[in-house]
Amino acid sequence: MLPIDAAAHGSRWRRRHPVDKAVLGFGLTVLAISLPPWPGAALVLVTALAVLLGPAGVPGRRLWRAYRVPLGFCVTGALTLLVQVGGPEGFVSPAEDGPLRAGELLLRTSAASLGVLLFAFTTPMSDLLPRLVRAGVPAPLVDVALVTYRMSFLLLDSVHRVRQAQAARLGHTTRAATWRSLGGLGATAFVRSFDRAARLQTGLAGRGYDGTLRVLVPEARVSVRFTLWSVALLAALTVLTLVLERPLK
Amino acid sequence: MHIAEGFLPPAHAVAWGVASAPFVVHGARSLTREVREHPESTLLLGASGAFAFVLSALKLPSVTGSCSHPTGTGLGAVLFRPPVMAVLGTITLLFQALLLAHGGLTTLGANVFSMAIVGPWAGYGVYRLLRRYDVPLMVSVFSAAFVADLSTYCVTSVQLALAFPDPGSGFLGALGKFGSIFAVTQIPLAVSEGLLTVLVMRMLVQSSRGELTRLGVLVTSATGRKRAESAGAVSR
Repeated sequence: MLPIDAAAHGSRWRRRHPVDKAVLGFGLTVLAISLPPWPGAALVLVTALAVLLGPAGVPGRRLWRAYRVPLGFCVTGALTLLVQVGGPEGFVSPAEDGPLRAGELLLRTSAASLGVLLFAFTTPMSDLLPRLVRAGVPAPLVDVALVTYRMSFLLLDSVHRVRQAQAARLGHTTRAATWRSLGGLGATAFVRSFDRAARLQTGLAGRGYDGTLRVLVPEARVSVRFTLWSVALLAALTVLTLVLERPLK
Repeated sequence: MHIAEGFLPPAHAVAWGVASAPFVVHGARSLTREVREHPESTLLLGASGAFAFVLSALKLPSVTGSCSHPTGTGLGAVLFRPPVMAVLGTITLLFQALLLAHGGLTTLGANVFSMAIVGPWAGYGVYRLLRRYDVPLMVSVFSAAFVADLSTYCVTSVQLALAFPDPGSGFLGALGKFGSIFAVTQIPLAVSEGLLTVLVMRMLVQSSRGELTRLGVLVTSATGRKRAESAGAVSR
């Protein structure tokens, strides 16, 4: 299981309905990209961090491990805004408002990422996917996504083991050997995925498979109180940003 | 490379979502129809999605000494066709956003457009064109993977340039800026992905000839296809 999903299974908010967490998490993400970056995205960032580490109970180290991936991309992406191409100062020169634009982009992306991480760290995929049918997503599509999700872990595990076996047989000692091993790894993943699908099909056919994958979904109700609190928090962040925007500029 | 969460302004995020929607809806409809007619396809399509997900997790050695991962769009398009890849790619990108914090939900439309629509269609177009002129399978597969990879990054450059035009030279300057940054890493990576895809396909031809025939990859000429269809080997 992947670290974020594993953390979601042990989350304090695991039993909450996904809609509760979607309103809060995605609401924060939408605010992060819609409000002015300063002070809007900064406020969203602090709030999301406080909720993640506080009430949601996400361990700081796990959060950092997941967060540094998008953060790395944000930093490298923002760096490009520091320079401009063409103009009187030469072919490439420092952009006049580059640091400001880069800073704003960094604030916006880092805050928006935390909003999605809040949802991801508290909602296992197995709680979310079956409920998408009620949201209007065609059932066959959800079934394919469910099989993809469950098979991904098995395949990732297989690939990990094959890679270990290749390394033990000196399959990564030279560049040519590494390429050969990678080709074998990709082909093995394909063969195993189709083999698993065929075996799963045989097993399900023996249990009267009619094309619908029925899975148990933990009982949960949308909490009106939690949702109202979330909406109030989002509204407060919006008002605070609009109030503080002029004095802080 | 995925565009990170919150990287695009709201209007751009919505616009790319709207641009991607018809392709994803078309793919979803054909996939739904396929599953309703052949319920057993659910498992095969799910396995294909998992394969695409795992393929994008493979670490690829790069000439710069670092490593990257293949997009898998070229191989996916050759194996499963672009409409199916639009759906499988969307599912994969959604999982990557929620399970790996790779990409994002607000940038899902933009990432789907580059990786699940343009990449597969460009790669598949090149593959079909070369196969029509009887170019050897492995050369066609290499070209498909190379073009799919490179077109994905070209579209990503366009998306970023539209969102962040250069203060001095506007959209074209920004396109040159993002394009040249990508070119340094992505042209070697596109070659690497092409080579990897050829290696994977060579092994698949040896070990999974049946599956490749069933997917229609090893049947190219009209007579061959007709023969395979009459033998029940090709499902579509």
